[in-house]
Amino acid sequence: MKSVEIQKFKRPLAWASLIGLLSVASLTAQDGKLTEDEAFFYEEFDESAGVYDPFESVNRYIFKYNDYVFSNTLQPLVDTYTAITPDIVEEGASNFFHNLRYPVRLASNLLQGRFKGAWIETGRFAINSTFGIVGILTPADDYESFAPIESEDVGQVFGAWGIGEGPYLVLPFLGPSNLRDLAGLFGDRAINPIKEPFSMIDDWEWEWQLATFSADYIARSPQIVERYKQLKGSSIDPYSSLKNGYTQYRRGAVSE
Amino acid sequence: MKSFSYMAYLVLGLLLVASVSAQELQKEKLQGMIDATLDVIYSESHASLSADEKKLKVREKIESSYDLDVMIRYAIGKNWRRMNEQEQLEVLELVKQLVLKAYVIGLEGKDRPSVTFGELTEIGKARIEIESTMVLDMKTYYILYRLRQMDSGWQIYDIVAENVSMSSNYRGQIDDHFRKGSAADLIARLKDLLAKDEISGDTKI
Repeated sequence: MKSVEIQKFKRPLAWASLIGLLSVASLTAQDGKLTEDEAFFYEEFDESAGVYDPFESVNRYIFKYNDYVFSNTLQPLVDTYTAITPDIVEEGASNFFHNLRYPVRLASNLLQGRFKGAWIETGRFAINSTFGIVGILTPADDYESFAPIESEDVGQVFGAWGIGEGPYLVLPFLGPSNLRDLAGLFGDRAINPIKEPFSMIDDWEWEWQLATFSADYIARSPQIVERYKQLKGSSIDPYSSLKNGYTQYRRGAVSE
Repeated sequence: MKSFSYMAYLVLGLLLVASVSAQELQKEKLQGMIDATLDVIYSESHASLSADEKKLKVREKIESSYDLDVMIRYAIGKNWRRMNEQEQLEVLELVKQLVLKAYVIGLEGKDRPSVTFGELTEIGKARIEIESTMVLDMKTYYILYRLRQMDSGWQIYDIVAENVSMSSNYRGQIDDHFRKGSAADLIARLKDLLAKDEISGDTKI
């Protein structure tokens, strides 16, 4: 008897709760309060927590200049290079110059206390320089313990040490950077044994230096041009897209 | 009382299992969608289609699984309120077309990439992240798909390629645009970009 009474009471209660819920939902909408989905669209991003760009007008000017050089000089050069060079040669050239930058990667790993990274880089350098014919081939890829890892540089070291990015910069010919990465670039050059000011090659004539620099630049360019085209291709504001993309990429590299 | 606790634990356990398998299903759904879009671009049966037809087909495939508006609304963020209703609809449509254009043209002339899906991680309330690697032109790219459970079901709200979040990148650009420009300028700019044959237009801003 008692349970029948409870059942009788429960049904109107359920209806009342449902009507109550619906009224609250409708009132929330009328009050202009956001639904959960709507609030989600307005949430702030961690990644885009601002890029300090006090030199925007100068940066935009250099960006346009670089873009002109890219489109009219580098891209035709890269197109010709990739058209006339077999993929295997292209890959070999890229591997060779990557192998030469080993001291930068080694020092950068050590300076961040990444001893495992330093060990892997050293192993890869030893295997690729010998069995890989001065780094043209990468037989180290076949060893699981020496699988390729993300390249480290001095800019990342500064980031890992807690040095701030500083203002965003666009460097002539070199593209997006920031004050910390610009300082890192000088650090990379100082460590690199084939680049001045601490080159280990005696009587390093400027013609040879230029030739080495150009060959390295061209070997690296297809990848750079491809990434640049991809980022620029779908962007509303290419300058802003590159600034945001570069900053996110570097922040990710430092935090890893 | 004891049987009530057992029942509660049982229901809780069942709900947990159901939620985990529902999330795992998302991985299969995502993989299916990616495969279907790549089929449109690379399969022999679609070889005769023009780039525009391919874009339409790719869009159909994506929209049969996900609501593209979610990702674009998330990228627009608070700037949404700076536009009237008509401008909002127009911007949604134009950005959608721009993203699809970049996707289709970006893969054209290249070998079909191989995509492998990795771990699924819960990254917050009703949010998951699905790892994937894409090998394209002998290079490996790490891509993360972020999904959120919306009123309309699980939706992709961000794609992170090589540490670069697409939504954040667009949000940065749109924020920068609205510091100086209007919604009408944005629409004009988007139409201008879509009218170009190539995806790499000039840098006029």
